[in-house]
Amino acid sequence: MATVLEQKVLSQKQKDRRRHLLIYAGLTPFVFMAVFPIYWMLITAFKQDPDLYRMDNIPFWFNLAPTLRHFKILFYQTNYGAWIINTMTIAAWVAVITLITAVPAGYALARLRLPAAENIGISVFMTYLVPPIILFLPLSRVVAMLGLQDEWWALVVVYPTFTIPFGTWLLMGFFKTVPMEMEEAARVDGCGYLGAFVRVVLPVSLPGVLTAVIFAFTLSMQDFLYGLAFVAPGDQKPVPVGVPTELIRGDVYYWGSLMGAALLVGLPVAVLYNFFLDRFIQGITGGVGK
Amino acid sequence: MTPTSLQGGGPEPTARAAVVSVAGPRARLMFQSQTSRRLAFGYLLLAPAALYVLLLVGAPFLFSLYLAVSDANVGDPVATFIGAENFRSALEMDVFWIALRNSIVFLVVAAIFKSLLGTSLAFLLLQDFPGKKLIRGLVVIPFTLPIAISVLAWKWMYDSQFSVINWVLSRVGLIGQYGTDSWPIWLGDPKLALLACIAVNVWRTFPFSAIVLLAGFTSVPLEVLDAAKVDGCSFFQRFRHVVAPMIFPILMIGFLFDTVFTLSDLSVVYLLTQGGPANASKILPVLAYQIGIQAGNLGRGAAIALFLVPLLAPAMFLFLRNLRRREY
Repeated sequence: MATVLEQKVLSQKQKDRRRHLLIYAGLTPFVFMAVFPIYWMLITAFKQDPDLYRMDNIPFWFNLAPTLRHFKILFYQTNYGAWIINTMTIAAWVAVITLITAVPAGYALARLRLPAAENIGISVFMTYLVPPIILFLPLSRVVAMLGLQDEWWALVVVYPTFTIPFGTWLLMGFFKTVPMEMEEAARVDGCGYLGAFVRVVLPVSLPGVLTAVIFAFTLSMQDFLYGLAFVAPGDQKPVPVGVPTELIRGDVYYWGSLMGAALLVGLPVAVLYNFFLDRFIQGITGGVGK
Repeated sequence: MTPTSLQGGGPEPTARAAVVSVAGPRARLMFQSQTSRRLAFGYLLLAPAALYVLLLVGAPFLFSLYLAVSDANVGDPVATFIGAENFRSALEMDVFWIALRNSIVFLVVAAIFKSLLGTSLAFLLLQDFPGKKLIRGLVVIPFTLPIAISVLAWKWMYDSQFSVINWVLSRVGLIGQYGTDSWPIWLGDPKLALLACIAVNVWRTFPFSAIVLLAGFTSVPLEVLDAAKVDGCSFFQRFRHVVAPMIFPILMIGFLFDTVFTLSDLSVVYLLTQGGPANASKILPVLAYQIGIQAGNLGRGAAIALFLVPLLAPAMFLFLRNLRRREY
């Protein structure tokens, strides 16, 4: 009796193992496809030039000793350091602007029973879908009017055009999940509307607020067009714009430095975004807060 | 929207009705002033975001309509009205028609491949297996990496001489040596350039398709499926009448979202080929940028960008409808 049972368990295990192997086999090409370009960037960034530009070796590993030369070039001979600082400062400002506008707006739309709140919310979100390619020419005039052309400040003004709609939508969904009783209790205890919002709802909504900040940051990093169109001076660019436009001079490519520059900033952003990807998908498919 | 506006001034049945009925007219007055205070507070909170969006998305959108019917130039701040001239001259440019065709080819071919890849990936990720989280995290990297940065990796992989793709193909024997005719120059060959750009778009967005599909599948509650099973539905019936209607709105939204971004994205083509060689990979956004910013002809650039609107409008409309349906 016992042995039969054992055999059954065993064969179930074997079955599982076979199934898993099959799944892994199916997934391998996908993982390879997704990761190979990253691996290729990584190894390029650390290879010596003579190792990069030859055809007779197997290129997937180091044929000469790895080097940090490309990174030295980046930091000593280009504006890369300045771009990183620009990127961080822009992202910080965009996050602040997004927070002080989207948090109250999301709360008002989710909680204060404004007439047509749902429609206003959807309209705000729809503006997220107006593509930059339609807006960048008129916005170039706006930027010029503000006297910000050729400064990274232009991007601080422009990026909230997509982070505010997305942030408002995201937070609207988030605030809907906070139990109404909490506010009512606060109001019974003598808080005004502002008091209930600031002292009771906001503290329990910190995860949502944090998510909005992360998106303000990662979505700013996804932009290329605005940076390309509005910021020409070499030292004013953010990383995703500076690397492809400044490190390529004519037909000369410094592939090692290019890949290093791209990865050093791209990878942390990708990892950060990775953790919040499900929130992003929930946000755009309208399932926020369900 | 009647239901919402009713709800807006509407009573919170239990608490308020009690207050009103007990305390009579004075309480009602207080309740009214409370409502108006609540609304005032609400609009106050809404105002900064609404103003920002109106001033920097709404107004520019209208302004782009104005630019499109003016002769605005980068150097010349005073623009005069010239009617549909920009649109007419755009339609007379050969390169406009090439760009329009390329944009549509780009969208359709990319959509086919990313849905095939995305669907197969989604079905694999739907299974349970050890290490699923890690594998999922790895597979979505193309989508989460900033686009300008990943395009650079591809530019290097497509290099005319040191392309790693060609190295492999050549070692396997599918293509000849460097310098021979059978050595593909991905970005320099008019027959290959657009395809090479499409491949990058597919690479970047197939994980997105898969994740959206997964979100759709996991939104179908197991109890509903079980209930259908108990009621005697076959697998096919369950799929047709239960799963499909439930995931369809989500798929639609993902699909349309992707359409908007694929049609309007310029970074892939701009960074890989600038639309070349000889306009072989020119798409509308690149053309709009080149004419509007590089050539400084704001009016015509805006007109070309606006040609995207009729392509995007159906997508936007369906998006809106689905979004609303899902909300309730």
